[in-house]
Amino acid sequence: MKSLSTLRSLIAGTFLAVAGLLSPLPAAAQSAYEAPLPADINTNPDLCASLPCQEVLPGADSFSERMGKPSYVEAYRTDNGDKQLVGYVFLSTDIVDIPAYSGKPVITLIGMDTQGIITGTKILRHSEPILLLGIPESVLTKFVNQYLGKYVGDKIEIGKGRDEEGYIGLDAITGATVTVIAQNQVVMRSGVAIARQVGILKIEPKPAIRFSALDEKLGWDQLVKEGSVQRLTVKPEQLGMPRDDQPYVDMYFGYLNTPSVGKSVLGDGGYRNLMSRLGPDDHAIFIVSNGSDTFKGSGFVRGGIFDRVQVAQDMDAYTFRDLDYLNLWGLEAAGAPSYKESAIFIIRGQGFSAAYPWKLVFLANKLDRETGHRDFVSFDREYWVLDKYQEAGRPTVVKPDAPWVRVWKMRAVEIGLFTALLVAVAVVYASRDALTRRSTRKNKWPVNAFKYTFWVISIGFVGFGLLAQPSITQVLTWFHSLLFKWQWELFLTDPFIFLFWIFIILTTFVWGRGLFCGWMCPFGSLSELIYKVAGAIGLKRFQFALPMKWHNRLKWIKYGVFFVLLAVSVFSMGLAEKLAEVEPFKTTFLVGMFNRAWPYTLFVAVLLGLSIFIERPFCKYLCPLGASLAMPSTFRWFGLKRKQECSSCKACAVGCGSLAIDEHGRIDHRECMHCLDCMILYTDEHACPPLSQERKRRTKAGLPLTPIGKDGYYIPIKPVPAAAPRA
Amino acid sequence: MIDPRSMTEPVTPPYAEGGALGRIGAEIWDHLWPWSRSGFQRQRAIQAAGLALALAATLVWVLAAMGELTPAAIIGWWFGWSAFEVIVRLGSKPYVKEGPWWGQRYRKASVMDMVCYVGFKNLLIGATLFIGLKSLGLLVI
Repeated sequence: MKSLSTLRSLIAGTFLAVAGLLSPLPAAAQSAYEAPLPADINTNPDLCASLPCQEVLPGADSFSERMGKPSYVEAYRTDNGDKQLVGYVFLSTDIVDIPAYSGKPVITLIGMDTQGIITGTKILRHSEPILLLGIPESVLTKFVNQYLGKYVGDKIEIGKGRDEEGYIGLDAITGATVTVIAQNQVVMRSGVAIARQVGILKIEPKPAIRFSALDEKLGWDQLVKEGSVQRLTVKPEQLGMPRDDQPYVDMYFGYLNTPSVGKSVLGDGGYRNLMSRLGPDDHAIFIVSNGSDTFKGSGFVRGGIFDRVQVAQDMDAYTFRDLDYLNLWGLEAAGAPSYKESAIFIIRGQGFSAAYPWKLVFLANKLDRETGHRDFVSFDREYWVLDKYQEAGRPTVVKPDAPWVRVWKMRAVEIGLFTALLVAVAVVYASRDALTRRSTRKNKWPVNAFKYTFWVISIGFVGFGLLAQPSITQVLTWFHSLLFKWQWELFLTDPFIFLFWIFIILTTFVWGRGLFCGWMCPFGSLSELIYKVAGAIGLKRFQFALPMKWHNRLKWIKYGVFFVLLAVSVFSMGLAEKLAEVEPFKTTFLVGMFNRAWPYTLFVAVLLGLSIFIERPFCKYLCPLGASLAMPSTFRWFGLKRKQECSSCKACAVGCGSLAIDEHGRIDHRECMHCLDCMILYTDEHACPPLSQERKRRTKAGLPLTPIGKDGYYIPIKPVPAAAPRA
Repeated sequence: MIDPRSMTEPVTPPYAEGGALGRIGAEIWDHLWPWSRSGFQRQRAIQAAGLALALAATLVWVLAAMGELTPAAIIGWWFGWSAFEVIVRLGSKPYVKEGPWWGQRYRKASVMDMVCYVGFKNLLIGATLFIGLKSLGLLVI
């Protein structure tokens, strides 16, 4: 495996070097994309030794060591020899584990003054592909700078603020909605956690739990089955360690204040004894664990802090010190398992209420086997005292929507319109037979009116408006996700791309890639629209198609581009994203032609300039997305129609803008853009040679012109014997 | 005379004439087993190497299931195996289906047809295998 890894690094390094040489962008030294960070960033007591704390807390000249749980540092300013506390600095990944679009957190350093005002935010590292080349990273910096001067207790959300409800709105980043929603959670949750810990924000007490009169003794299996004892298991491979049959930790835990649970687990005496030791706002939980490692960690030996487990409820986290620890001498519940390690922890504070759900959180470091880098990760399991143990049952809890749900709600109207558009396109195309029969070679408007309308909508509304231009990078993500880690959330976070891909997959299997590429791809539509407009304004005499011989050679380039990108994505998704700039989509729609470095703009300008003279040059010869869709188009269910005479007739082939009809009259559905010109000829009795001949023959012979059947021929006239004369 | 309704000339696989159930069974077998007796006769060296590769691929799947292989290595194997399967199939089962998947029209496969078929089929098989292994808890990545 080591040699494989070396080979991979070598190839990735070579690609990176070449890409770097070719890149017109300035050196990426200042970029936070996958920026290397100190290996001990989450553990070094002197946080500010390697991180720019002064940048996020201007005016501070010295900083304490890490303190508290979750950890932060105090910032001081020295005036006349006196050290004055001026604020706090904290690292987001010390506090929250919220993944952004890439699935990895945006590691952010945050400063806050003693009044709870955010004084600075700095992105140290992110893995957001869209910010690598699509949207300038400065846009994310501008976004996080919106927090400066905001109070951590404010209700802040992305989008338009709601003054009447006290919500402050922040401008989102178009095209990176998920990233900013996640980042908003990161900044606000981190700020609140530290502000509560240092006393800036008071914990708002929730109504305390009131137990029902139910008091029963339960066996272990019953406790587990009903959910009064929960289980949290972490496997070694989840932490980047070699796979092992034995879990890393395998914890059972439960809330002991509930009489039935406490008495079942501790016995009557044990329960009474424990309750007598608890204060009025204290709560006790137990944990028993097996596994190869300890849930207690080693921090409590040195500093009296249990640094691997905590209890979280809403925005509050409760950690445990040695004073919050009691020995658990045994499990009284019948059928309880044996265990290696045990504890009773006391949750102290008015902010906690067992009437509401809470989570046991296990904190750990995950080793990235490729880079050796350790990331902070957390695993949790929810616990909620059952209905039957609460006097009035469980209170109503409104859980916040997941980021992707918020995106769908925020853009419901546009999503509705977009869905209607996709359905309309599919319905129109499914009705192509009726439309092509109404058209003739000289009047294609019954088809083209729809097609051109969809082009304009796809360019304006879908491309420039919704920024919903499908890309090869999504295909690569699909490919990797299909093979390794399918996460619906990853795809649902961009509703338009998600819906577009459902449309693309369905229509590709039913009709081939031509419906998307030829009718709905924003860039493809723009390219062909330019060609059509250029032809209409008098440039037709300059327009040409490559000779079939050359077309048949050049069309393979796009497949090569696709396979190269697919192969590179195996080694480095980031590099594949970079090389995917062969697609001009980001420059055209996402970022804007005049917002990028000139080589990107020039590339798009050349492609669109070529489109004046050649129909869809990018789609035919370069588009890796088209290639990836062309491959399954081989197995589309329903193709376009042909007649036997097509093998010798060239009428359709001559007019095929996609050059998808070969010398034998066969349509290559991998190349066809479904312009439907050949289908118009198919039923045009004046343009389709076999039909025209038959029309002339029948007219000459005085025979009626019957309707044209599905096979593209006149319905045959079958002489019927004359009825016998009536007697 | 060339039939313009089909990209390549129509082909009838040995099982095409059988009943529906037998045909479905034969098609499933066809998707999973790239070799054929006639192909074996024609491509002995390739087929022998193929059997060795099949054993190696099986080992790789087992290692993958045990979490011993990195994603890159697994995709590398996927690529390698798919490329080999294209060669084998072009010699032993050189046809693809035309039109609806539930239909019975087959045609001779060009190299590109076979690349498309094998790539797509193996992606689906790989995905099914990984989702299956993951849902059984045998694979954690």
